Amino acid sequence: MRAERLAPYVFASAAALYLLAFAAGPLLDGVWLSFTDTKLLDPTGGEWIGTDNYTDLFADSRFAGTLGVTLIYALSTVVGALLVGTFGAVLLDKAFRGRTALRALLTLPWAAPTVAVTLIFVWIFNNDNGVLNHASEAAGLGRHGWLTAYALATVTAVSVWKVFPFVLLVVLAALQSVPKDLVESARIDGAGPARVFRSVTWPFLVPTLRVVALLMTIWSFRRFEIIWLLTQGGPVDRTTTLVIDVYRQAFLDSDLGRSAATGAVGLVLSAIATVAYALTERHSTAKDLA
Amino acid sequence: MKLRFIALAALAAVAGFPLYWMLVTATRGQDELFGGDVHWLPDVTRLGQVFTAAVDGAPMLRWLTNSAFVAAGTTVLSLALAVLAAYALSRFSFRGRGVFGFALFATQMLPEALVVVPLYAIFLTLGLLNNLWGLVLGNTAFAMPVAVWIIKTAMDGVPREIEEAAALDGCSRYAMLRRIVLPLTAPSLAAAAVLAFFDSWNEFLLANTFMVDEEKWPASKGLASFVGEFVTPLPTVMSAAVLFTVPAVVFFLLVQRHIVAGLTAGAVKG
Repeated sequence: MRAERLAPYVFASAAALYLLAFAAGPLLDGVWLSFTDTKLLDPTGGEWIGTDNYTDLFADSRFAGTLGVTLIYALSTVVGALLVGTFGAVLLDKAFRGRTALRALLTLPWAAPTVAVTLIFVWIFNNDNGVLNHASEAAGLGRHGWLTAYALATVTAVSVWKVFPFVLLVVLAALQSVPKDLVESARIDGAGPARVFRSVTWPFLVPTLRVVALLMTIWSFRRFEIIWLLTQGGPVDRTTTLVIDVYRQAFLDSDLGRSAATGAVGLVLSAIATVAYALTERHSTAKDLA
Repeated sequence: MKLRFIALAALAAVAGFPLYWMLVTATRGQDELFGGDVHWLPDVTRLGQVFTAAVDGAPMLRWLTNSAFVAAGTTVLSLALAVLAAYALSRFSFRGRGVFGFALFATQMLPEALVVVPLYAIFLTLGLLNNLWGLVLGNTAFAMPVAVWIIKTAMDGVPREIEEAAALDGCSRYAMLRRIVLPLTAPSLAAAAVLAFFDSWNEFLLANTFMVDEEKWPASKGLASFVGEFVTPLPTVMSAAVLFTVPAVVFFLLVQRHIVAGLTAGAVKG
């Protein structure tokens, strides 16, 4: 019996120790760094400076901009990916010839390595020879600096392109779990397609969409390489999200303390999103029970 | 009905075009790309040169081998840790279970950029900088929790009665896991493995920060090194990108069904 009581700890110990060493430890270390004046060239020589990094951060008008860009970027990426992904899933929810092939084609952006994809987008958006400016000029719309004048919109569009297949796959699976007889009987009762979607399908989708929205939000706060490789946060910080700033402060400005403080703010944003998710879920479960 | 196909065709065109364009660009000459005209089709006569261009013009084979090593290592390590942890979470109630579950989820919130500096310091001490094993260890911290989540969901679906019967026959917990639970949850293992493999095949931030020597770069860092570098001809760069993309895409298409099942098991149930 004693062995049985110890068993879960034995099974969980390896993973728990691993997380402690390579996730929790570094995280705590990061939080500690945010209260020091540590520099990249002397990573162990930092001194405790209290909340100076945070007060400096919040006093810096650039930081407000970074926060704004982060929120706009996350919000528009999440909404865009949810809309496109759900739209695609609804279109694919019916059996037809070639559906499997189309589904495979639509999930390619998610399967392709981000770095490779970003490289081709840089070329597509190229000012002088990019295909988008060629097409736009041919259509009489003129040339545009996609990665300069519209940097944030372009970076968002590329991000939506990259992640919408995830939404599509998960929502499609949820759609197919909607009981067919429920849809059928609603139809027999005279409900049109829009009504069936709103009253029968939608309630089944909501829990899934909520989880997906949470994951998308957290991933948007974390996303690095798409933005870094497309614009490096520019022009003039217009695509600088918190994560880009964390990287810049650490590896370009060599200011590890300040970088860690910025990262901690990013973590708080993710935590807020998670709490918001937990609250809406509890709220809706309470409503279902009532 | 018509509208559905028009909408789907438009979506598919947008989804597929950049990858198509990668291939077109890889088969065109530098002069054609910068000559002011657009060539909409790939030059099929040069398809074969895509491979040779990437291999001759850049250490692409070396980089791909490194990526494969990191991805395989991460997959094996993540799965080994995740199977045991998932079994504990699925079959036992124990003190600390809630904290453990939360910690696993919380790693999803952790921006890599925040951990990258402390990890850098740890790896510096352990001699794991500029070492592919360091990348394996770093990637596992992010891939393993997802694997636990997927595998635990599948294990929850295996009836406990089978194990209870085995327990009467004197079967140990570990033997039950290995002989009964694992075979029954094989699809979820495949899903978790594929996701771990993908994440580490694509991973860039840790690779970019930790790997110094060019011959130790994984392909993600190798490819990224072409951004803003104008020495390597564009067709060569795109050939390298094609070479990096093709294995991932082919692999994904082969196992797509399993990943979707594994992913949705968690997300759909909520």
